[in-house]
Amino acid sequence: MSRHVFRDIRGTLQPFWVTLRNLFRKPVTVQYPEQKQQLPERYRARLILTRDPDGGERCVACHLCSAACPVDCISMQATEAADGRRYAAWFRINFTRCIFCGLCTEACPTKAIQVTADFELAGRDPLKLVYEKVDLLVDHCGNDNSYNFYHQTGIGVTAPRGENPQETKPMDVKDLMP
Amino acid sequence: MVTLTIDNQTVTVPAGTTVLEAAQKLGIVVPHLCYHKELGAVGSCRMCAVMIHKGTLTGLKMSCLIAVEEGMVVTTTDERSMALREQVGEWLMLNHPHDCPVCDEGGECQLQEMTIAVGHGRRRYTGKKHTYPNQDLGPFIAQEMNRCIHCYRCARTYKDYCGGRDFGVMGSRNRVTFGRFADGMLQSDFSGNLIDFCPTGVFTDRTFRFTSRFWDLQEADSVCSHCGVGCAVIPGGRLHQLQRVRSGTNAAVNGSFLCDRGRFGFDYGRHPERPRRARRDGQEVAVDVALEALMSDARALIDAEGPEAVLLLGSERASLESNWLLQRLAKELGCRVPVLSPHARRHQAAQAVAFDLSHQLASLADVRTADVAVVFGVDPLAEAPLLALALRQIVRQGGRVVVCDPRPVELPFAFEHQPLSPLALHELLGGGDMDGKHLRDLLRQAKQPVLVAGADLLGTAGLRHVHSLAQRIATDDRACPIYPVLAGANSFGAALLSLPEQDDLMTRLEGDHVRMMICLETDPLVEGPDGKPLGERLARLEKLVVFDYLPTAVAARADTFIPTCPPVEASGTFINSEGRLRRFERVLAPGASLAHKEDGAHPPRAFFLTQPDSEPLPAPRLLQRLLGGETSLAQIQAEMVMDRPRLAALPQLKAGEEGERVAATVARALPEEKLPEQPAGTLQLVVSPARYGSDLLSRYARQLTPRLTTACVYLHPEDAERHGVQEGDRVDLDTRFGRFTLPLALSETLARGCALVENSAALPEPIPGSGISFCRIGRGGANG
Repeated sequence: MSRHVFRDIRGTLQPFWVTLRNLFRKPVTVQYPEQKQQLPERYRARLILTRDPDGGERCVACHLCSAACPVDCISMQATEAADGRRYAAWFRINFTRCIFCGLCTEACPTKAIQVTADFELAGRDPLKLVYEKVDLLVDHCGNDNSYNFYHQTGIGVTAPRGENPQETKPMDVKDLMP
Repeated sequence: MVTLTIDNQTVTVPAGTTVLEAAQKLGIVVPHLCYHKELGAVGSCRMCAVMIHKGTLTGLKMSCLIAVEEGMVVTTTDERSMALREQVGEWLMLNHPHDCPVCDEGGECQLQEMTIAVGHGRRRYTGKKHTYPNQDLGPFIAQEMNRCIHCYRCARTYKDYCGGRDFGVMGSRNRVTFGRFADGMLQSDFSGNLIDFCPTGVFTDRTFRFTSRFWDLQEADSVCSHCGVGCAVIPGGRLHQLQRVRSGTNAAVNGSFLCDRGRFGFDYGRHPERPRRARRDGQEVAVDVALEALMSDARALIDAEGPEAVLLLGSERASLESNWLLQRLAKELGCRVPVLSPHARRHQAAQAVAFDLSHQLASLADVRTADVAVVFGVDPLAEAPLLALALRQIVRQGGRVVVCDPRPVELPFAFEHQPLSPLALHELLGGGDMDGKHLRDLLRQAKQPVLVAGADLLGTAGLRHVHSLAQRIATDDRACPIYPVLAGANSFGAALLSLPEQDDLMTRLEGDHVRMMICLETDPLVEGPDGKPLGERLARLEKLVVFDYLPTAVAARADTFIPTCPPVEASGTFINSEGRLRRFERVLAPGASLAHKEDGAHPPRAFFLTQPDSEPLPAPRLLQRLLGGETSLAQIQAEMVMDRPRLAALPQLKAGEEGERVAATVARALPEEKLPEQPAGTLQLVVSPARYGSDLLSRYARQLTPRLTTACVYLHPEDAERHGVQEGDRVDLDTRFGRFTLPLALSETLARGCALVENSAALPEPIPGSGISFCRIGRGGANG
């Protein structure tokens, strides 16, 4: 019985001690929105469409992000430029539906779609969270300053056919040399 | 039958089967690229290696080339064959551009699948990749040669199976390319098959370029509605827009092939002028309001003027269910039975097929396996393109094809053409001169003869002659079936539903007792032979009601217009020329397309509960609303079987399956038809459908524009000389359809004594299948 008396006294006093100890510490609360917090580098929030080092749109509207998206919040339509480049005529992300899982960025073969740390997406009008291509496309390369899909792939869009570094010149198909 | 063991499972297959096919029967997929079930194997990709432990040849072998043997023991997942397959996969990817994100084949690419299946995932080779020049192959096919793996499937499809002549293998060594000698549109009418048969993205659909991914498409098994063959197709669409058609598989009909008219001519349903709203007296109204008004109008007229006052017109384009419900509507209204085709003679010929020939109809598969085919009155590429492919397979297997037709028939293989004028053709079939004897001997000696009969040119009388010829040729141990060629997707169905002794449209419209006409998915002004008198008669009607999904001439004149759905937006059944019930399923719901390809455009940012422009309903549902009470399609079909026992297979029918034939019936006894006498100084008029732009659907399919031809009159050079006209002259042609002034073209292979014109968008007045008629030709008068 006496055992319990001491336990109960300690249980009553200990919280007071914890409170007392923290009373004089520096507070950890950040006064958001007046103060902004430094977020981790890999924080996943609002998505962007980046450009390649040459300034062209990276997105080729291949539909892989929309296929990977578990909540179906990405939709797009591909179209063709005069030089044969495939790009998105329109590209729409519905951020009211997005769960910021980042699977789209992992699926993207051209490093076009990337996450940013901008999480401030709350609003009163849901339609304002339906982002079109003009809202998504940025003027930088995001987290990779070197990759250009069309320099890796051999179908002659940014460079003439067979002019990429890892390719030979197009065959002369009428050549009969052994 | 041969029994063998594959991966410790035994399987019994017919002798001659390959190990690859036997494994497929067990559900084991041996990775392969150059093998295709329609084309066979050539062993050029080296990917289908398996280990044969017991058999005449043992060791690592290509499973697509080794025939099964009794007691054979095969493994497909042993270390050595897996290692070889992985290495082959790596080799095939050495020069691949790795551009799957911008390739239209991505997602439905056999090379992607097989590369993953063999386990190749990381590129080790650091050398340079070969590249190839591309060719411009026209508006339908896009080429990207860098993706090629040299499996030769394209050449085997285009040249060997389809008989195209302007495409092939070129170059030597590692410079081998596949294409034309020079840039230009592929000339074959089966060029689209390259898209389906190329296992990678070398040949892709240019009309579908960068439009959608395979996995985003809504697809369903459907039936092509451009002609009577009834090929299996799989249309695909997205964002309320039909975007492409690919070939389905039906072993009894089209195999896995499709003609370009069926593949690229699908966009009639997205014609910008397609009427999508109900209209009454020039005002847009709700569909239900229009239906109610039309029903009360019809009832009032019948009460006041009797059952003759309302005339219902069905169509060879509408589904079996729609036509049957139209007959029910006639019963409900108390008016006379509907006419199910605006083209009386075509309809009678289809009835001859549906009733008199029904017990000896050949399927297209029967045509492919025959050894002798005699074709009477058909230009296959114009009337039933897949028939031309089937006939080609006869010749490829060493058989013979004889074509008796007045037109300068061109076919993608060597055949014997007998240019006979329509009258001579009827005489040949009815009488028995020397030519006929030669044909009969040829057919009697054949092991598997087949006759092909064109309903348009032969008509009822000719079909009955072909029928009696087939009966004379057939013996107890081998039949001589007939493959009929009918014009419409559901010509057979409409003929089967209608009563044989029924009047035709013009007879019914004689006098003034018809006051109201209801047209169901047909334009009698351009689909029947009596366009001009009919147009005048329609102007005297009190009410003209049109149900349709095309912006036709008669729809523009209608007092009440009710929008319906094309086959891709509805479910139903067609009966194809060979009497096979073919079910099609709905691919898309009707509605305004949300697909925008222009820069900066995007689907609307406003959201609606109902899709804009989704008012059109399938014709069977509209007719059921008129009858008061909507039931499911299955219930309609059950009732149809009760009513028409020949349709017994209807309820079990499934889309995408082969489809049952309708039950045969006994031939009717009909009086002989007398052939007309040819007036002196005239030519026999032959009206042929053009390959593109003759059927109403392809006329409204704008994608087919590059294939359209200009209108001209064809004559044999001797006839031209006799009539004093020269090639290129503008000549006047006086026909029963009116006078046409057209340029003259000469053709050596046209029958003598004939003038040929093609029914097309450029010359819609002459209608094929309107019987033997005569014309006079003269040098162009006023404007010549």
